[in-house]
Amino acid sequence: MTAVPAILAKELRVEMRSKQTINAYLLLSLLILASFRFSLALFDPDYQTLAAPILWTTIFFSGMFSIAPSYRREAEQGTRDGLLLAPVPASDVYLGKMLSSLVVLSALEAFTVAVFLAFFPVDVPEPGALVALLALGTVGFVAVGSLIAAISANLRQSEVMLPVLLVPVLLFTVVMSAVSGTAQVLTGASLDGVAEEARLLAAFAVVFVAAGYLLIEYVMEG
Amino acid sequence: MRLPPSVRIALLAAAAALILAAAYLGLVAVEVPESWRDETAPDMFRTMFFHVASAWVAYLAFGVTFVGSAMYLRSRRLEWDALAASSAEVGVVFCTVAIISGSLFAKGTWGVYWLWDDLKLMMTLVLWLVFVAYLALRANMPGRQRRASLSAVFGIIGVICIPLSFAANRIWVTTHPTVIASSSGDIGPGSALALLLSVLGFTLLYVLVLGMRLEVEHLRDELEALKSRVGD
Repeated sequence: MTAVPAILAKELRVEMRSKQTINAYLLLSLLILASFRFSLALFDPDYQTLAAPILWTTIFFSGMFSIAPSYRREAEQGTRDGLLLAPVPASDVYLGKMLSSLVVLSALEAFTVAVFLAFFPVDVPEPGALVALLALGTVGFVAVGSLIAAISANLRQSEVMLPVLLVPVLLFTVVMSAVSGTAQVLTGASLDGVAEEARLLAAFAVVFVAAGYLLIEYVMEG
Repeated sequence: MRLPPSVRIALLAAAAALILAAAYLGLVAVEVPESWRDETAPDMFRTMFFHVASAWVAYLAFGVTFVGSAMYLRSRRLEWDALAASSAEVGVVFCTVAIISGSLFAKGTWGVYWLWDDLKLMMTLVLWLVFVAYLALRANMPGRQRRASLSAVFGIIGVICIPLSFAANRIWVTTHPTVIASSSGDIGPGSALALLLSVLGFTLLYVLVLGMRLEVEHLRDELEALKSRVGD
């Protein structure tokens, strides 16, 4: 576990040095929200009901692109061999990279939620509960996303393969529970009211972190 | 794990006999049970014999993929990877059949092809998506060993998300009939027998197709070995 902070610091330093990548994720998120806003402007839908699916779809698709480079750039820049040669267990690399993706994704989400509230006429009666669900959903998403990003970094067409592999795994777990909980919060439920969804999201987070921690070794090797 | 030709012919004969018997019983001999007669298309009930059997084979095949993946990561023997990959491929075919036949069945009984809030339907669709993605992963990974480990890891995650989804199921209802669990008396003894024969026949068919698919994998490995020898 000792190498985790070092890996985290390294990942964040790389992210900060290439500022254009963070800007690109923010722009992508803005554009996904704009697509929803423009296409829905033709109708007069009930935004309070549509809010949760729109918000999470945006987070998942822009978030995927922010997780993707953490492993791909190691492969592209030939630093993967260095990482493998370093006397650091693969699971530490996984945790460090996961935490770094978590930091980047949290910043991305703060921006996404702000733009979302500016674009759509949606009330948030319980901001605390919304933040809690966002945080829990994000941990599960990043945990399984990092593992799959490590897999897809090795593939041909890795940019396309990450969503292809990640969406089916997330659909019925994190997506459903996060959207269900968020929808209830937006219609006035408190954090206690969505305790079941929050517990499920926490359970997914634990299982996915454990799966990543145990399986990353097989992905990173040779 | 190669099937000798005699075993293959025996499997084919047994599967064909069982499936034909099930088809005769299910499609011709059996009466549609009382409880189904007031549906819009009562004869759609007969799809059930093939729908249930192909769904069962799909779940079995994905289970075999999970076991093959885990065993590959433990033992690093490529035979396990070949088993996992072959079973996933066969499973996707049977899963497609199950989804299509299920949709026809649903149209005849519920009046719609698909229910987007039904747990069993959604789970089957998610499984189908996971394993289509699994096949796409394999298609995009050159290198035998690496492909084996990466797809084994993905196969394991894909199957892990199934019990997690079941844990989340209180949010959704299920309209899907549970024919097997609710004692076969519900569908009548003739139908129960037809269903049993059909499930057995489809299972043998799965074993046969899996064996042939493994043979292809084996030949491919042999070809690679020959190619690399000639290349030297």
